[in-house]
Amino acid sequence: MTAWQKKTPLEWLTYVNKEVGVLAAEKHKYQGWVLTVDPVSANILLAHPLENGKMSISAVLGHAVQDVEILTEADDEMKEKLAHLFMPEEM
Amino acid sequence: FSKVTANAAELEREQQGRVALRERYLRSLLAMVGRPVSFTMYEKVSVTALFGASDIDVLNFQVSELQTPLGVQKEAVLRCSDIVAYSFEL
Repeated sequence: MTAWQKKTPLEWLTYVNKEVGVLAAEKHKYQGWVLTVDPVSANILLAHPLENGKMSISAVLGHAVQDVEILTEADDEMKEKLAHLFMPEEM
Repeated sequence: FSKVTANAAELEREQQGRVALRERYLRSLLAMVGRPVSFTMYEKVSVTALFGASDIDVLNFQVSELQTPLGVQKEAVLRCSDIVAYSFEL
């Protein structure tokens, strides 16, 4: 188990809504806003706003995460955007 | 006695955190169903496929129309242990 996989849910929660840089296996690098960390697999889910208004979502598998560096904290507008991403449409 | 209750409260908070994180992840998998997903595998292999489902412990992904250098595989199961990352657009 890696240090990332050994973290507790409360520790993973501190990454949510932060912009992070992730160093993964084989020198792959990812950057984005943390949506969640799956507590079962430790997969980290990142959102990356695109110029066309769409959102690119990427996930780095928990076993491949080597280092996660926090870069910035989301402002209220970004938090709102992230919170509604996967939620069901309200009627 | 107070130590026991403190631990119980801590455990409760941890469980709530676990639930919130897990629900969001499961919703992301639901949002991915039927979409083209790019998978970055170990050994510098990249493939794309339409996402179908995951098992509950996120060990395998069931996909279809898997584009490989050797052609298109109609249905396939990817082992998550072979995957470094995956991405899709919303």
